[in-house]
Amino acid sequence: MFRRSIIVAAIGSALAVATATASWIADQGHSQLKLAPRWAEIAWPFPMDEWGTGKAYRCAAADCGHEVEVYLRGKLGFCNCTTGVADDAELDRLSDFDLLGGRAKPLSEGRPVRVAWMAGRSRAFALPGLLSRKAMMSVAFSNECDALVATAVFEQDAAPSAEPQVLAFLNSVAVERWAKAELGR
Amino acid sequence: MRRASLFIPLFVLSIVPATAQAPKIGDPPEALNMRLVGMNDLQARSAYQPTIHRQGDRYIAYIGHHGGTPEVPKPINALTGQAEFNGTSIVDVTDPAHPKYLFHLPGQPGNFEAGGAQMTRVCDGKTLPKGDPSAVYLLRTFGGQGHEIWNVADPSHPVLVSRPAWDLKDTHKSFWECDTGIAYLVSGARDWRVRRMTQVYDLSDPAHPVKIRDFGLVGQEPGETGAVPTELHGMISLGPQANRVYFGYGTNKGGVLQIVDREKLLKGPKEPTPDNLRAPVVGELRMMPFYGAHTVFPMLQMPVSDFAKDKVGKTRDFVMIVDEQILNECEEPQQFVWFADITVESQPMVVSHFKVPEASGHFCDRGGRFGAHSSNESMAPVFYKKVAFVTYFNAGVRAIDVRDPYAPKEIGYFIPSITEQTDKRCMKVDGKDRCKVAIQSNNVETDDRGYIYVVDRANTGMHILELTGEARKAAGLP
Repeated sequence: MFRRSIIVAAIGSALAVATATASWIADQGHSQLKLAPRWAEIAWPFPMDEWGTGKAYRCAAADCGHEVEVYLRGKLGFCNCTTGVADDAELDRLSDFDLLGGRAKPLSEGRPVRVAWMAGRSRAFALPGLLSRKAMMSVAFSNECDALVATAVFEQDAAPSAEPQVLAFLNSVAVERWAKAELGR
Repeated sequence: MRRASLFIPLFVLSIVPATAQAPKIGDPPEALNMRLVGMNDLQARSAYQPTIHRQGDRYIAYIGHHGGTPEVPKPINALTGQAEFNGTSIVDVTDPAHPKYLFHLPGQPGNFEAGGAQMTRVCDGKTLPKGDPSAVYLLRTFGGQGHEIWNVADPSHPVLVSRPAWDLKDTHKSFWECDTGIAYLVSGARDWRVRRMTQVYDLSDPAHPVKIRDFGLVGQEPGETGAVPTELHGMISLGPQANRVYFGYGTNKGGVLQIVDREKLLKGPKEPTPDNLRAPVVGELRMMPFYGAHTVFPMLQMPVSDFAKDKVGKTRDFVMIVDEQILNECEEPQQFVWFADITVESQPMVVSHFKVPEASGHFCDRGGRFGAHSSNESMAPVFYKKVAFVTYFNAGVRAIDVRDPYAPKEIGYFIPSITEQTDKRCMKVDGKDRCKVAIQSNNVETDDRGYIYVVDRANTGMHILELTGEARKAAGLP
């Protein structure tokens, strides 16, 4: 009886371990999916302003684990030619807050980033009002006097995974091709 | 048959303007109703603001410069043989046919807009309330680092007097009221969110500057978050009598004309809170965001001939708004000159514009910038409210009859010839530089004798001009 109980317990434990392992493997598989998001170009969703229209991309929740949109624009001749995007003041000045209503509060200090051959800066912001569940990530990077600005929007609680996804996208071949065309390189 | 074959090439030549091709060294200037009187090469330094000042029986031109280029960061000062960072050229233009280069005052090290000493304003010590009556004061920028005052009573030997504001993020097109000493300095205070905002100073005693306050658009002040309003470019004050200061924000986009009550600006609460920044504002004109506001030049109390029989509104107040083209070869919306009727200050309205037709010179193909940049700012009676001059980069300087600002019209132009000193302007095409050499008329000023001083951004120097023909008649000159 005692021996039979031990066997049952052992089988139960083995099943539990197997279930946990299967679940872990499934999770890992899901994470792998997150690491390979698919970005689809969408129509520029904003009215015309002084910077003209740019490029807009969306990564669906099924592909990224949460929906992320990225808007790209060139701001030629608008960057500090000497220092580039050296600090948060310059990043804020270049950022496309106006696309999202103009008001935004920084969630943290900005940090330096690299996009292709260019140096820049990235910073996350909270958006007010109807967009209060969303976060905005502004990334500005420069080539001599020309700035390129990326604005990403996603759910605030998705920020930990969305931010690296956006940076990976900005370093993709598609964005580098756009950047070179924008800069005439 | 022979006659026909000769006719065809002649016909083709007659419909293709000579200007369709890139300018070459040796080509004559292109001109209508404007004539070259004299020139100086300004030591091949890229030029910004010329200020022409009468000093006793002499006329002295003070020309601010951008920084040098990577190829020539320190051009040679021919007077000394020394290589010097670009700063301020001081030129005796008493005889405009033979301008005499007197002195080069070096500016901040650095290339392009990162160095030099772009801006100049000059006041006599005897006019300033607490100035040394024997002094003549040059207020100039020192790159983006700060503002300096020099005594240029002897223009060949300037002496530093003071540095009113220093350790800034940037500087630009400041204004100085000579009769009161109040100065509106375009500065980049470290704690503000823009590179260019206003610092108001009392410089009535240039040796002892007194700061009055900081000023800018709401949202530019320290502590604000979100969108950063377009930064200041420059301002012009009409002094205590008119009690108005006109500010231009934006350079090539997001332009704002701001009309400010001078008394409230100087004496109102100084803490840069949103309410305190709004308090002195009388009116604002938000332009279509494609256009900026480089120079905002007021012309008040102008009788408009077409309104002469109107019971109300016979005379109107105007501001001429000049945008600045930034990008080469038409890579952005063309920048123009706008005339805003500001008679009702709270609701100013653009009522007309001036532009140079691109096809008239195929300017987009010539190289460099094509579009408006800046106007003369002298209010001497010889031209004020009659003829305005606007630089148009590769289209030279344009003379505009502004007697009816509802219908401005071009009455003359002058496009200087390029020289061996004229610098190239490059574009990236397929990853490689494609360069062209073209004139880049950058700034213009006039003196009370009726001479027009045009300076070049591409190192060609300063051309001194006068009006001829119909343009001369429009100004009422003999």
